[in-house]
Amino acid sequence: MSQLTRNSLLALAITLAIIGTVLFAVNYLNQQRVAQLNDLQDRLATDTLSVETQFALLESAPCEDVAQGNTLSQEVSNLGDRLNVTESRLGSTDSQVVELKKQYTLLQIRDYLLTKRLSTTCKISPTVALYFYSNTPGACTDCDRASYALSYLHKTYPALRVYSFDYNLELGALKTLIAVKNVKPEFPAFVIDGKTTYGFTTLDEFEKNFPATLFATSTPTTTKK
Amino acid sequence: MDLTLLALPFIFITIYFESFLLVTFLSRPARERRAMVRGDYFPPVAVIVPCYNEENTIKGTIDSLLALNYPADKLSIVLVDDGSKDNTPAVMDGYSDHPQIMVIHKENGGKHTALNLGIERVPHAEFFGCLDADSFVDPDALAEIVGHFNNPSVAAVTAAMSVHEPKGILERMQNAEYIFGIALRHIISSVNGLYVTPGPFSFYRRSIIVELGGFRKGHNTEDLEMALRIQEAGYTIENAPRARVYTKTPTTVPSLVKQRVRWTTGFVRNVMFEYRGLIANPKFGTLGLVVLPLGLIAIVGGIFIFVLAVTQFIKSVINGYALISGVPLSYTFSPQWLNFDVFFIPVTGLILLSIIAMTGSVTLMIVGKRISRTPSSLFAGIIAYLLFYGMIAPLWLIRTVYDIVTGTKRSWR
Repeated sequence: MSQLTRNSLLALAITLAIIGTVLFAVNYLNQQRVAQLNDLQDRLATDTLSVETQFALLESAPCEDVAQGNTLSQEVSNLGDRLNVTESRLGSTDSQVVELKKQYTLLQIRDYLLTKRLSTTCKISPTVALYFYSNTPGACTDCDRASYALSYLHKTYPALRVYSFDYNLELGALKTLIAVKNVKPEFPAFVIDGKTTYGFTTLDEFEKNFPATLFATSTPTTTKK
Repeated sequence: MDLTLLALPFIFITIYFESFLLVTFLSRPARERRAMVRGDYFPPVAVIVPCYNEENTIKGTIDSLLALNYPADKLSIVLVDDGSKDNTPAVMDGYSDHPQIMVIHKENGGKHTALNLGIERVPHAEFFGCLDADSFVDPDALAEIVGHFNNPSVAAVTAAMSVHEPKGILERMQNAEYIFGIALRHIISSVNGLYVTPGPFSFYRRSIIVELGGFRKGHNTEDLEMALRIQEAGYTIENAPRARVYTKTPTTVPSLVKQRVRWTTGFVRNVMFEYRGLIANPKFGTLGLVVLPLGLIAIVGGIFIFVLAVTQFIKSVINGYALISGVPLSYTFSPQWLNFDVFFIPVTGLILLSIIAMTGSVTLMIVGKRISRTPSSLFAGIIAYLLFYGMIAPLWLIRTVYDIVTGTKRSWR
């Protein structure tokens, strides 16, 4: 075997070994992410049980204790951020992603119901925004902008509760929520304090959908330009 | 489909080529060349210095040649003024009384004519070298080189080039690239794959060059054309990795682009139009099957990846602007990285493979510096290379393709 042939074959073997190692490493990291999400989800399942208990306790416990003890919203939001990253890596059709999204959606709906119950029983009035988007290519050109604006509003006005839903997710509870709120497949769609609106143009226009009390009573955490 | 995936074939080729270099570097022929020690062989040699308007650097070039550690009675220096219009002839005439130096003035006819005239005037020289008048040699460079003419089939020996006193980002970036080239030439020469004998201090066996008919214009790259002709004739080109030579490099981006367009168009025109028979020809081994095909692919790949990167960048800027417009900048630029979590690090196959490819390049630079024992610091050059080379190189690659397609011929300077 000539020197050139030998070197070429060895180089090819090394290249394939490098690429194989990289593919293995990336796959391993993605699986680690999914495992981490599963852990988080298991923890949230426990928290969900806690929510159920909180529902029961509402009858007798002082409202302020229940309201202060509800850390589920932040946990759900944290899970949502990680789920978004995982979805962008593995794709929205990946079976693990779909399963995680379903469980995440259920958690959001439960948290939403708890928030509603707290608001009526404890006489507190958080502003709630339900946000419906679609991942179908071309179905929602303004969804990224709407998501970003909602993130900004949530960060700036902590009293705002935001729940995001993939409209096309095959989940009975979500379909029921969509039917109850009578949300049409036009995106982005919002249900803000019970009122349904569609489309996103600018942040200023979008803010008009929210009650003035949100901006009057909350303490902004960032400064407007 | 994710368009960035289209870059994967080129990254595969890059890693393959780097692996090929690594394997060849560790193979016996390369190891033997690194182990070569300088002998007491001092044949008669000549150094030809073709000059055209080099009044600022010619003196340093001549002085560095006179400082070579080589028997004075065996070394002739031929200064050929190729019709300079500045003070170069006067500077050269200042050396006309020196016993080792011959000064020739001629009408401007191009570098190849100056070299051929110089070859004619040194019939006694067994070997002759060429030194551009913007380059300076290490005192031991010539003694290192002649030892590599140990086989009658060796027609040329190239030196180890780096940048003379690199200052500023652009020169340091080029220095890193040149030192990468030292490793590349050492490795590739061990399997006779060199396609250029660079102007700064490449040496030739005079009898073979005369037999091949001397230098040609070679699309303004006479050194490249000569190397291809040597290879086509079945001779070999060696490299002396410890024969250090320092050259001046362009100090502005436009002048660098102009120089590289000349080099790259010269490569493409010579290979595609004059020596096409070498490409993919097993008879020419590493040169025909690896170096020349990958050299052509690198031009296409460099442009493709650049266009892809620019397109993606513009797309990101437009999308990013649309995303944040209307939202206060204080939110957009809030230090969200304080909540850093390894979960969010964007690890993809493309990014990891790109990092591996870059690591391979940096490793070759370090190898080049070590085997040549080049003294200057390389750290800043590597940083500049990693940051800017990928943005500047496509400029000359794109212009090269434009010139080739439109048939545009540009002047040397």
